[in-house]
Amino acid sequence: MQLAEHPLEAGAAAVMEPPPLLSLRGMGKRFGSLQALDGVSVEIASGEIHCLLGENGAGKSTLCNLVFGVYQPDAGVMQFGGREYRPSGPADALTQGIAMVHQHFSLVPDLSVVDNLLLGQARGILKRGECAQRVRTLSENYGLALDPFARIRDLSVGERQRVEIVKCLMREPRLLVLDEPTAVLLPIEIEGLLQVCQRVAAQGCGVVLVTHKLAEIKKIAHRVTVLRGGRVVATSNDPANEIDLLVRAMIQRDLEGLDASASAMFGAPATDAPEQDREIGHRIEDEALQVNGLTVRDAEGVARLDNFTLIVNRGEIVGIAGVEGNGQSELAAVLAGMLPATDGRFFVAGKNMTGKSPQEVTAAGVGVVPEDRHAVACITGMSLAENLFLNRLDRFKRWGLLDRKALRESARALMQEFDVRAAGPDLSFGSLSGGNQQKAVLGRELTTEGLVLLLAAQPTRGLDVGAVEAVYGQIRKACERGVGVLLISSELDELISVADRIVVLYRGRIMGHCVAHASERERIGAMMAGHVE
Amino acid sequence: MTTMALNLWQQMRMQTAIWISLAAVLFAVLVGLALVASMGVPLSDAIVAFADGAWGSPYAIAASINRALALGLVGIGFVLANRANLTNVGGEGQIALGGIAATAMSLYGGASHLPGPLPFIVPMIAAALAGGVWGGIAGVLKAKVGTNEVISTLLMSFIAIWLVYWCVQSEVLLRQPMNNTATLPESLEIPDVTKLPLLTGDPGMPLHWGLPIALVLAVIVAIVLDKTVFGLRLRAVGLNPTAARRAGIAIVPSILLVLFLAGALGGLAGSFMLQGEQYSLKARFSSGYGFDGLVVGLLARGSVPGVIASALLFGFLRSGGINMELAAGVPSAIVMVIQGIIILTLAGAAFWMERKKSGK
Repeated sequence: MQLAEHPLEAGAAAVMEPPPLLSLRGMGKRFGSLQALDGVSVEIASGEIHCLLGENGAGKSTLCNLVFGVYQPDAGVMQFGGREYRPSGPADALTQGIAMVHQHFSLVPDLSVVDNLLLGQARGILKRGECAQRVRTLSENYGLALDPFARIRDLSVGERQRVEIVKCLMREPRLLVLDEPTAVLLPIEIEGLLQVCQRVAAQGCGVVLVTHKLAEIKKIAHRVTVLRGGRVVATSNDPANEIDLLVRAMIQRDLEGLDASASAMFGAPATDAPEQDREIGHRIEDEALQVNGLTVRDAEGVARLDNFTLIVNRGEIVGIAGVEGNGQSELAAVLAGMLPATDGRFFVAGKNMTGKSPQEVTAAGVGVVPEDRHAVACITGMSLAENLFLNRLDRFKRWGLLDRKALRESARALMQEFDVRAAGPDLSFGSLSGGNQQKAVLGRELTTEGLVLLLAAQPTRGLDVGAVEAVYGQIRKACERGVGVLLISSELDELISVADRIVVLYRGRIMGHCVAHASERERIGAMMAGHVE
Repeated sequence: MTTMALNLWQQMRMQTAIWISLAAVLFAVLVGLALVASMGVPLSDAIVAFADGAWGSPYAIAASINRALALGLVGIGFVLANRANLTNVGGEGQIALGGIAATAMSLYGGASHLPGPLPFIVPMIAAALAGGVWGGIAGVLKAKVGTNEVISTLLMSFIAIWLVYWCVQSEVLLRQPMNNTATLPESLEIPDVTKLPLLTGDPGMPLHWGLPIALVLAVIVAIVLDKTVFGLRLRAVGLNPTAARRAGIAIVPSILLVLFLAGALGGLAGSFMLQGEQYSLKARFSSGYGFDGLVVGLLARGSVPGVIASALLFGFLRSGGINMELAAGVPSAIVMVIQGIIILTLAGAAFWMERKKSGK
């Protein structure tokens, strides 16, 4: 591995013997005042799995979008298959043999898999049978189990992603780009996806995989390019043995210095040290949340959440484990006041909050970090400052008008306290990286007046090491000052290292309670799959 | 520093937007002139007739501005509701309801016996309330049952238009007493005290009190939208209702209030038309001002000064167009064509600017 002083040198040094499939030289892209990419050079060979590693906002997605023709570069030259490559748009990129799986899928939910696949390609008569046959062949060749006639609406996120991949593979690309494909997947689905990548590469196709999960890199990457602040900061031809160095390059810190739980999540061994801290740290006995037989039935009468009972004490972190879709979303929505419960009650600090509005729930001292940040937690079209105080704008009323100056100043203070990195409080929220958005949401919710309970659902999803560490740090800090925390996560490692105890949900019911300890891993895993011991 | 750069950038965009709008208007006028020429009417005749009608005399100017008032009020209501991502297309009906309420109040509501300026103020308030209720009904439907407000406000407009017909056809309602066979199906003229007083007192320049009232309202709405917490909340509701709800913003009252206010502005436009110009309720009372006002709101792209500019433009266009038909024999429909081209050009320009902004 080499740390790049000068990006161009790094590129030149990485030249391999056969001519590369895709070579990027000195790519630059600027958005307004943000230099998203600055002199980035990367080469990708046929049959290679090339991982792009970097924190949020490092420029990984921008680079992929340049390759796929979504954006036009401001500087730099691209060569694909030995010829100059200058895609006019995604359609052009596809014709030339580059396909991309985006973070967000573009599928029509009400159509079948086959119909979705035919949408972009067919002229004249739809040959559904022929297409289905091709799907089956591809499924077999690459291990992508898919029913060609299933409706997208009925598919899981993992299956939908498979449809996107099949859509790409049907074009027989020479290069497949996957932008953070594992961020939305369950552990078992990740395994499958990585295998698909390996098979695709084995067929001679180049694969670019954007990720910030080190475990994945360790498993499948042939080469890794690390981006930071829009520049190439390191490349590695032997990533499996250079993980520590890669992380250091990515965040400019040592892995040992990282929060133990953050490193656990990213695949590095966790020490047992924090377990002891926890024993001493909290236990201020006082109920933050009491849930009594909460039940939620959907329109068809199916119990999404079934007789859920739980107590969260102040200064305690209770983890809710479970495969997604087993009632966690419903639980979080009811507790946040966004969804009425069919039956049961819940109390916050002894006050009955069942059926109260989100406003009343917040007033009772509940901070909520929702699962779906963009849909529920923030308004991307508004500024960072406006989002930071969205639930308490009244504070900035002066003679009936909005005191923008005070709002801006308070926002700056909050940005500093929670390490939200942005050029200024007036920046559009949507322009922040995912990590900074989440830190902002967390900052807003943790500064809720009279905070008793923090409800955090998948708070670290899609975040990079640095941001995950910051989120854990803030949650722990709140916990130490006596806030009860209900942490919903599908990452078992995260729960084991952060929570005090874990409750496992399966099909809306509690399967069991465990202490959060690595030795309970197997047991929790079994309960998540519905096995009772 | 960055903030300054941002502001500069926004100002630049603002300026580009203004230039594009002007170019669109110019282009549309040129096309309109080409059409006139193709009909064989001498261009100079048409232009002279247009100018005469639009701004040729103090009377013409006042008439154009009075037209712009009604259009502008409806447009401001549109912008207000649009901030919460609600599309109020019911201006026509709200004007009609306002007209009915103002007529009823002036003729039979006892407004004319009130002291001071109340005789013309009370019908105005009644008109605003009536229009507000008409808009508010759409708000209730939206909040309680989720009916799309585009559909409900539009359909309620048709109900309101036929309500006007009914009112002027039935003596039990607002039709003037049928003394002989020649009585038209319209209301009596409203008493002089209930008419909006003229600003100059000179009937040759019939600018009335509606102008300052509308300007004050425009300023208030602009301040509420851009400088108050309420305006910011409306924006939040418009951009992401779920997140707004989670953040404790009351969605239902916001929807109700904002549609009520938009309707009230429409109702007020109706009162201005009745108490300031027409003085009696006729079957074709509103004659499309509500729909043109909607276009004015659309063109303004969310800005109150934009509403004022486009309302004036449309007001003068309409006056000029009418005179062009009378004096030069050019169908006033040509004005509609020009309006249509302006809208298309601007929509195209807006689309193009969005594309450029997103860096494609």
